[in-house]
Amino acid sequence: MKRVIDIGVLLSRSGMYAALAHASRQGVLQGVTEVNADSRLDVAFRVVERDPEGRLDRYAPLCREILRESEARHIFGCITSASRKEVIPELERYDGVLWYPVPYEGFEASEHVAYMHACPNQHLLPLLDWALPALGKRAYFVGSNYIWGWEIARIARERVAASAGEVLGDRYLAVGDTDVDHIIQEIRVLKPDFVLNSLVGDSSYAFLARLAELKQETGIGNGLTVLSCNFTECEIKSAGGAAEGLVSAGPWFEPDGSYGGSFHEMARQSVHELANLLHGRPRAEMLPLSDLLRSAITSGYTPRLDPTHLHARQPAIIARLADGRFHEIKRLPALRADPYLTRHPQTSSSGSMLKVVS
Amino acid sequence: MTAIRTENLGGATAWILHRPHPSVQGLIRQLGVIGLAVREAWPELPVEAIAADFIFYDADMGHDEQFHWSSGQSPMPMIALIGSEAPGRLRWAMEMGAHAQLLKPMSDKGVYAALLVARSNFDRAKASEALITDLQNRLSARQTIVRAVMIFVMQGKTEAEAYDLLRQTAMAWRVTIETAAERLVANHSNERGTDDGRRIDLA
Repeated sequence: MKRVIDIGVLLSRSGMYAALAHASRQGVLQGVTEVNADSRLDVAFRVVERDPEGRLDRYAPLCREILRESEARHIFGCITSASRKEVIPELERYDGVLWYPVPYEGFEASEHVAYMHACPNQHLLPLLDWALPALGKRAYFVGSNYIWGWEIARIARERVAASAGEVLGDRYLAVGDTDVDHIIQEIRVLKPDFVLNSLVGDSSYAFLARLAELKQETGIGNGLTVLSCNFTECEIKSAGGAAEGLVSAGPWFEPDGSYGGSFHEMARQSVHELANLLHGRPRAEMLPLSDLLRSAITSGYTPRLDPTHLHARQPAIIARLADGRFHEIKRLPALRADPYLTRHPQTSSSGSMLKVVS
Repeated sequence: MTAIRTENLGGATAWILHRPHPSVQGLIRQLGVIGLAVREAWPELPVEAIAADFIFYDADMGHDEQFHWSSGQSPMPMIALIGSEAPGRLRWAMEMGAHAQLLKPMSDKGVYAALLVARSNFDRAKASEALITDLQNRLSARQTIVRAVMIFVMQGKTEAEAYDLLRQTAMAWRVTIETAAERLVANHSNERGTDDGRRIDLA
């Protein structure tokens, strides 16, 4: 007989990043279906869902509503860092846990958040370590004008500088802005070796479309590669073919040409991870997350999350989009997250220490 | 260096000067997560804490004698842990040299910011002190130059000739004008001093 446990879902079904939230939501719901059908697990989940509609101000009140009006302590959701930061005070007040299965920029380790996707030492740094020798050292950054775009560019700038590379430009667009002509003009003139694209949603699709035109016009072709840490399979259709050739880094890519990508898969895995942690532990859903992890470790289970900082170990996979699906270029085995980048060596063996200075 | 280097907190050591208490647990956890080595002490900092990269100290029960340096002279950034916001306690915390503060109970919030703010304020204070010392030295050197010039003037040179002579002397001795002036003034004082002494002897 399964125990039925309420879980919250806080994902937007409309608004600027609905495509990403949709992939995440489908992953959660698939995970719930699988857990409920799995007779080896003594838990079943019942979903308590609220829809913030992509509006930042709705996240905190709806999170509070789930925690106050239902038994749910574990909530799956949030796409943007801004919305995650909105709900953390509510999680603290009502002893909740947010399962956050999307990539983020690091520099956070709340005791109430399960960081189930990847942070920069698991996506951005492996991507640049591959790109700088493979593509060249003249970089151009473009991103959405909020913390994801800013922080990714800041970390990338340090990495490029440490490899004796050059950042030719660094441009930001307001979320939703699709006027990219000035950026395309700059790229036409500067001819970087690669563009690191941290735009989200419609801005990203507009940029990729105009860049594809530029490539056709000028025949830049393979000379200009677009890199991303946030572009996944769930956006391929929205980008309408213009993303072909893009190289992305993440913990997971679809093996069979599906369109959920890591947003779907990490959400699904998060639900399974919670089920595994709660299996055989009545009332364990009320425990603080770090206690729950330690109790599971004591009984021989190896959780995905590190009990110290609650970030998942993840492989770093670099893959290129060709013919509408991602193809793996390089794979690093599961890496421990380093959210504050204090453990990651700043330079690789071919870094600036060995630079010829004469 | 204008940007914060993300990696340079790794391997740093932080000492927490606070009695063992649940309110400190969040701080210990977060420092470990960020990548610092954490040491705890109470009621006194051991001598080895002088090599720490950061000190977190209790503003509620702390006092001067816990430290191996005088107020405001810490050789590393200091972060006050504040429970009581009473003006007397806050004054002590500030006089001790808080470069940043955290409010109790400490949680996972604000620790990284406190580290960066404390280090930035510490570095700025150090730079200001170094600049002030340099300016003071230059200021006193300027007075010495004037005195050296006056020595030549008293020997009948014009001011311009005296300054030129000082410059030539410095070149001949292969030292800076400030150093030459210092030596000339010292020699002059010595001669005067000896003269004075002899005069007293002869009197």
